[in-house]
Amino acid sequence: MATKTYLQAISDGLREEMRRDSRVFLIGEDIGVYGGAFKVTQGFLQEFGEDRVIDSPLSETAIVGSCTGAALMGMRPVCEMQFSDFVSCAFDHLVTVAAKQHYRVGTPVPIVVRLPSGGGFSGGPFHSQNPEGFFAHCPGLKLVCPATPADAKGLLVQAIRDPNPVLFFEHKHLYRRIKGEVPDGEHTVEFGKARVHREGTDLSVITYGAMVYTAEEAATAVADKDGTSVEIIDLRTVTPWDKQAVLDSVAKTSKVLVLHEDTHTSGFGAEIAATIAEEAFENLDAPVARLTAPDTPVPFSPPLEKAFLPQVEDVVAAIDRLSAY
Amino acid sequence: MAIAREATPVSSAADIKDADLDREDLLQIYRNMLVTRGIEERGHILYRQGKIPGSFYTGRGNEGAAVGVATAMRADDVGTPIQRDMGVHVTRGTEVWRIFAQYMGRRDGLAMGKDGNIHLADFRLGLIAMVSHLPALMPVAVGCALAFKIRKEPRVAVAWSGDGAMARGDAHEAMNLAGVHRLPVVFICDNNQYAYSTPNRLEFGVDHLADRAAAYGFEGVVVDGCDVLTVYREAHRAIEKARQGGGPTLLELVTLRMEGHAVHDDAFYVPRELLEAYTKKDPIERYRRWLKEQAFLDEESDDAITVEVKKLLNDAMKRAEDSPLPDPSELEVGVYAEPEELDTPHHM
Amino acid sequence: MATGTLVDVVMPQMGVSVSEGTITRWAKNVGETIEADETIVEISTDKVDTEVPAPATGVVKELLAGEGETVPVNTRIAVIDTGGGGESDGEPEPATTGSDPNVAAEAPQAAEAPPAETPAAAPAQPAPANGNGQGSGEGRTFVSPVVARMVAEHNLDINAITGTGAGGRVTKKDVQAFIDSGGQAAATAPAAEQAEVHDVPHFAPPPEPETPAPAPAAEPSPAAAAPAPAQPQPATPAIVEGEPGPGEELYRFNTVRKVIARHMRHSLETAAQVTTVIEVDMTGVVNLRRKWKPIYSERHGVNLTYVPFVARATMDAIGRWPWVNAEIRGESALIKRYVNLGMAVAIDDAKGLMVPVIHHAEELNLVGLSRAVIDLADKARTKTLSNDEMSGGTFTITNPGVFGALIGTPIIPEGQVAILDVEAIVKRPVVVTDRHGNDAIAIRHMMFLCLSYDHRLVDGAYAAQFMAQLKQNLESWGEDAYGL
Repeated sequence: MATKTYLQAISDGLREEMRRDSRVFLIGEDIGVYGGAFKVTQGFLQEFGEDRVIDSPLSETAIVGSCTGAALMGMRPVCEMQFSDFVSCAFDHLVTVAAKQHYRVGTPVPIVVRLPSGGGFSGGPFHSQNPEGFFAHCPGLKLVCPATPADAKGLLVQAIRDPNPVLFFEHKHLYRRIKGEVPDGEHTVEFGKARVHREGTDLSVITYGAMVYTAEEAATAVADKDGTSVEIIDLRTVTPWDKQAVLDSVAKTSKVLVLHEDTHTSGFGAEIAATIAEEAFENLDAPVARLTAPDTPVPFSPPLEKAFLPQVEDVVAAIDRLSAY
Repeated sequence: MAIAREATPVSSAADIKDADLDREDLLQIYRNMLVTRGIEERGHILYRQGKIPGSFYTGRGNEGAAVGVATAMRADDVGTPIQRDMGVHVTRGTEVWRIFAQYMGRRDGLAMGKDGNIHLADFRLGLIAMVSHLPALMPVAVGCALAFKIRKEPRVAVAWSGDGAMARGDAHEAMNLAGVHRLPVVFICDNNQYAYSTPNRLEFGVDHLADRAAAYGFEGVVVDGCDVLTVYREAHRAIEKARQGGGPTLLELVTLRMEGHAVHDDAFYVPRELLEAYTKKDPIERYRRWLKEQAFLDEESDDAITVEVKKLLNDAMKRAEDSPLPDPSELEVGVYAEPEELDTPHHM
Repeated sequence: MATGTLVDVVMPQMGVSVSEGTITRWAKNVGETIEADETIVEISTDKVDTEVPAPATGVVKELLAGEGETVPVNTRIAVIDTGGGGESDGEPEPATTGSDPNVAAEAPQAAEAPPAETPAAAPAQPAPANGNGQGSGEGRTFVSPVVARMVAEHNLDINAITGTGAGGRVTKKDVQAFIDSGGQAAATAPAAEQAEVHDVPHFAPPPEPETPAPAPAAEPSPAAAAPAPAQPQPATPAIVEGEPGPGEELYRFNTVRKVIARHMRHSLETAAQVTTVIEVDMTGVVNLRRKWKPIYSERHGVNLTYVPFVARATMDAIGRWPWVNAEIRGESALIKRYVNLGMAVAIDDAKGLMVPVIHHAEELNLVGLSRAVIDLADKARTKTLSNDEMSGGTFTITNPGVFGALIGTPIIPEGQVAILDVEAIVKRPVVVTDRHGNDAIAIRHMMFLCLSYDHRLVDGAYAAQFMAQLKQNLESWGEDAYGL
């Protein structure tokens, strides 16, 4: 075990897989000489050479598309969208080719697309998004949203080994802020298995990504305030998601708040809420609540961004509302 | 202001001597073109009989371009043909009955009923199935070439596009990436002069699509796509150049789309004169004449080949018609791949 | 809602058919300490007046209802803080404004008044949580899916569960707490309608006028004539209370008075009430009583009065004329062979009335009846009657005669068809005929007995013959019928 930052854990996972499997290579903008916009791949070019750490042109379609081609030829490519927001430029390729290839013609496409995502530092509308919702809707893709350093590494390694196209959302606001214990050696985390981040009895918060920490702070606050016992379920992967863990938690507490940083309408929380309503109706002691960013682009100015992103006090208020029901 | 080189046509067998084609090869080219056309002619009949759901696309007039390029590919080269390139599938050895099964939405079609018409490919033959959003497979072919380069394998990827699809960003990004890294990929543009109803002059502003190659740092060649041997020679040259590390080439194969965009389109917008002119340039007729002139083919062997092709097609059709439709229970199968489907989980 | 250190005190349910209670006196004030089981409040219901013991030891934190206030059963009436803490019990903060990042609690529109139920609710408010999750002031009852499921699974009566959720609804925790504390499963659903007739006090709340009285009760078990827990509806629209002026004093009906008022009204509206009077020469009984009184006092410890004589004679007469000991249900009647004898007792300085019941009085001799009468009268006056002792009557005797009344037309109690008024015994000159047929004037102890009966079942001839029998029983009471 060692304490690592979220970013270090990701970097370690990449490095270890590249050492272990010569088929793994990286392609993206500024990942080689520059070491990546966030320095995730610092030192990689020196260790693995320019054949396996490729500084690509500014061409998201070509980046992701060439990964598909290489993967079909037996490689295990990991590409990077410099900001998750830019994945929209490769949206066509992902949903048209990568997602559908195996279904149509039986050939697996084992690619990983790393996506530094999320806001909280005045990145503005094009450097702060959480686009998992768009892709959750596309059958054939897998979506991963780790919150802890250990999960970031374990899920990345798992993603590289998964035979399907995997979108790996690394929340950039967690890169250096979050530290945690990361197991040494080979460490994988299964997709579709949520993690109970915090056990509780009064209500459940279902969340993922950076919001896990916001929920944690809120849960601590309400525990101190009035003893409310909040359970936090960290989904860890959005496609597939651990429906059973969520239903089990709802059965236990009967009150549930779905929380994500992505915007509201048709954010993945809508899927979770609908599923809970369909399958846990008789366990509900209150309506299913959702707390998300509003339906706006991510604003730039700090007071606006603060109003946009769910804050700890917003989560506390939502918990209080649920408790009082 | 043309930039690309215009290929000089092959006239005699001597011109292709260094291409290393013997008589058998030459007759096989002929056979492949006949099978290609035969599949599509029978497809028309099946479609009008209601046995082919959805739509139906052909590459009539492109047989020489398709077969010519495919013949120049080596066994372990890969390609991403488009809807005018039935000749590529035939030349690489795709089972014809599975092509008919594909059209008819049967479970044994190459896409198992999950996709239709020409969205087919036998991956074991190094072919990757196209999608509708052309030229989405161009970057994929570039990725294949990237893999070959990383692994230092002497293999080449061939990426097809149409004249219309070349207007999309995928084409630009693919060629740009390939040019930057001098990847072993050959870009084939099937320029049949019409993208649906849009003629070339409304599709691009340069004289030839092949002129664009220079913008990416590699060579572009304009070729008479109706001349199978010229196509073969240029393809062979480009592919081998790529294999030797010479980087990409863009081959623009000019033909005319002899039928509509798809079966529902009567192509009224194509001028009669153009159609008549290209009817005279029919690649199969031309090649047959050449074979006979060069004494590779006589009446008897021509008839024999005709009969053989006919039998092959009939047998294939019957087998396909007898094969089952997919079961609804298969609907959700295969959305995701399982780890067992990969070769090995990992290796050093 | 109660947290770990706060314990609720609720209005208890004193009997199956009791639906509300009145706070008569708080024994403790806010801030005073109290031991578990120590009386915290005195209450009055239509069955009994009683004291409520505290459920826990601690400090009285809140009193939620005032003296004189009537609240439904299971209403929270007080809160005891058992711990050291003075934590507010989970009063939620109003949602912070500022950012509104789309908190979409997909709640049914009205449900919560944001600060759910503040414990310091003014007593004037109809207290929340009457056990069936009434909505906040909207009269809306909401049962959440999980609560509905748990109630069904455990066969509970949701009305028996205190609700602590928004607007007083019963929450999952409330149900779980109820189960954990051993709250029993409800009797099968129409428990209300199936309350035995024995349970129904003489002054049970009247059924709704439109309810076909007992007809729907197809069960063999005697169903109540009145579906007891039907919430007593205010029959009339609002009546303005009088402001006492000079020379006027305002008396607000207490629980017992209200119940009496309801029953009296209803009885007269239902029964075809007729009263018949007979005169009885009680001289023999008077003499017997004088003779036996010291023996009864010494040997049995009872004070022998005339009432047991009348009661015993009535048992015999009923034995011969049982239709006066029946219960009408629609167009049928249950004729009863046993007699649960109601004995009216004045209480509260004659400002109240109770009718304790001697069950199976026909089995008691004079000693037994004497004892029972005295015993129940005492309990009535000290408000210590049990539920059983309050209900199930089949025939009632009332005794205004102790005050000198001569003739009365008593009102027939619910569920019975007759009531016997025992009037004063008065010395009068009467004509007596000796054995030879000679008339003479003698001074005799005479007493009227007045029987009000329900002519729907009992006709005049029948009633008269019953009375004749009763008269004969009393006038021929043998000396050697000691103890009879």
